[in-house]
Amino acid sequence: MSSRLRLVLACLATTALLAPLAWLWAMSLMPDEYSVMDMGYADHGGGPATDDVAGHAGMHSAMQAGETSIVEMTANPNLPADVQMTLRAEQQEFELASGHEVDGYTLNGRSPGPVIRAEEGELVEVRLVNESVPGGVTLHWHGVDVPNAMDGVAGVTQDSVREGESFTYRFVADQVGTYWYHSHQLSHEQVQGGLFGGLVITPRRGEPADVDLPALVHLYDGHRTINGHEGDVPVEAMPGETVRVRVVNTDNGPMPVWVSGSSYRVVAVDGTDVNEPTPVNAQSVLVTAGGRADLEIVMPVNGSSVRVEMGGSAALVLGGKGPAVAAVEQPSLFVDPLSYGSPASLDFDPDEPMREFEYVIGRRPGFVNGRPGLWWTINGNMFPDVPMFTVSEGDVVRMRIENNSGDVHPMHLHGHHALVLSRDGVAATGSPWWVDSLNVEDGESYEVTFVADNPGVWMDHCHNLPHAAEGLVAHVMYAGYSTPYLIGGKGENKPE
Amino acid sequence: MKSAYRVLAYLIALGVVVQAASIAFAFFGLGKWIDDGGTLDKAAMEDQSLEFTGVIGFPIHFLNAYLLALLALILLIVSFFAKVSGGVKWAGFILLVVVVQILLGMFARGLPALGALHGMNALLVLGLALTAATRATRDVSASEKSATSEREMV
Repeated sequence: MSSRLRLVLACLATTALLAPLAWLWAMSLMPDEYSVMDMGYADHGGGPATDDVAGHAGMHSAMQAGETSIVEMTANPNLPADVQMTLRAEQQEFELASGHEVDGYTLNGRSPGPVIRAEEGELVEVRLVNESVPGGVTLHWHGVDVPNAMDGVAGVTQDSVREGESFTYRFVADQVGTYWYHSHQLSHEQVQGGLFGGLVITPRRGEPADVDLPALVHLYDGHRTINGHEGDVPVEAMPGETVRVRVVNTDNGPMPVWVSGSSYRVVAVDGTDVNEPTPVNAQSVLVTAGGRADLEIVMPVNGSSVRVEMGGSAALVLGGKGPAVAAVEQPSLFVDPLSYGSPASLDFDPDEPMREFEYVIGRRPGFVNGRPGLWWTINGNMFPDVPMFTVSEGDVVRMRIENNSGDVHPMHLHGHHALVLSRDGVAATGSPWWVDSLNVEDGESYEVTFVADNPGVWMDHCHNLPHAAEGLVAHVMYAGYSTPYLIGGKGENKPE
Repeated sequence: MKSAYRVLAYLIALGVVVQAASIAFAFFGLGKWIDDGGTLDKAAMEDQSLEFTGVIGFPIHFLNAYLLALLALILLIVSFFAKVSGGVKWAGFILLVVVVQILLGMFARGLPALGALHGMNALLVLGLALTAATRATRDVSASEKSATSEREMV
């Protein structure tokens, strides 16, 4: 072979090898700013095409005639605030209650931020001030189906709050239950670093528990904490008293919780009360990332203590001066919400959905925004080629979430609660299981349903926040609504 | 080009050594952390701020895997030009086993037996990289020798 021919062949082979890679790389690059409405492709779920929405996908982000801007989706501005608070966000070194030094983020000088408590029906008004977080901040009310403009997603429902700026969130606390708030700007970094706090909405009527305790569980630099305390955290409770422990998992992976020294009942999941919860013995309950579980414990009359174990590395020790109970090993059996509690009637018919969506999670090598790696796929495509689930107000929506990606995903739908209908084809038989954060293990598939009753643009993403930053993000888009905000751009909005 | 081929092949072999060392460092560190009272569950596994001696081994292992894939790709491209005898063949094999290695690592969490193949395949990458490097070395010294003998004849 002549050396010239050989050189030509070598150049051709190099091109054949590099050209497809270069093409894939170039195709994956994201513009400096874009609207989520232009991201991916419209998926109408077998329902009627919502023309104004279909016109958006991949076309343009400008508002069209007759559309409502989501900026208008707020609580009634004439309603006075019942609960008012200012939260000041700072990036700084701080000391946990345990003495451990953390380089992270605080709200009003501490992490977790203060627990906000409201009574059902009260108007909550929180002014967020960014004192010193260079990346900007927002607050998302995780699990509360707030009006869209109050959802706190940078670049989707607002611009991130830059240093020296403030933003006021207002919403009516009409859902009783355990929730939490956290930044949804650079969330994979800021939530890990401590920019979050608890939110408890209590019923107007009804017997409260004798001891009502939010338990925000968080890993700071690998140290597991409950409300910022490490190890065994004592809580005073008298014999015979009822204790409600509101477990909030603020981390990126699911955590098992179990109880030593007593039976317990799981009285609420993701803020919704369980119908007729039965006593649980020698079983763990899995609280997924972003999820909540309220456990109710009746203190033993002999005065002995009770331990609520958070993943085995931190525990609440309930009790007084009675004998201390030893920690038991994690029970390998788990409470299954699919069959726990008793069925109850629903106020809608889930069997006649107007739209049916698929949310199939996979994984393959490729490029996301120019970075090579093994990235998540939704319905076979990689970010940003993700579905935009279009709905019309009032639709009953069914969604099948399937996970074939080799890893667990805590799936979080904003602005709505979804009812679990089945898992792996097995129908739900217990209490209606309403979720906003659903633990979908590798190899599992769930059918869920929700009513499209909260118009706007809503993220539907994995709450393992680094996964969301890696592109495991889709959204639900209502017909006739439009957002003026942009991801990237001069607002420097980076929601994940 | 022959030297570039040889250096790249040796770098890949060195990369395999780094892979083995980093992951062993990480797992022994993790074992010690657990011995010292640390608790590992999924939430802790997903916690990017987890700190213990050896934890750095995990990101080194993951990032170096990409570096190895990149080196294997460059080696194949260099092989087109380097005229190492059998050079393209060996570089092609190396890229193939590196890709297989990454896929094994990716799917071993679902099927842990693949993890055993991941360990064995690593030795295959090392062996092939050393073979390729040796071939290139032999070619380089052979051409040097012939150049020397040509000069002597003159």
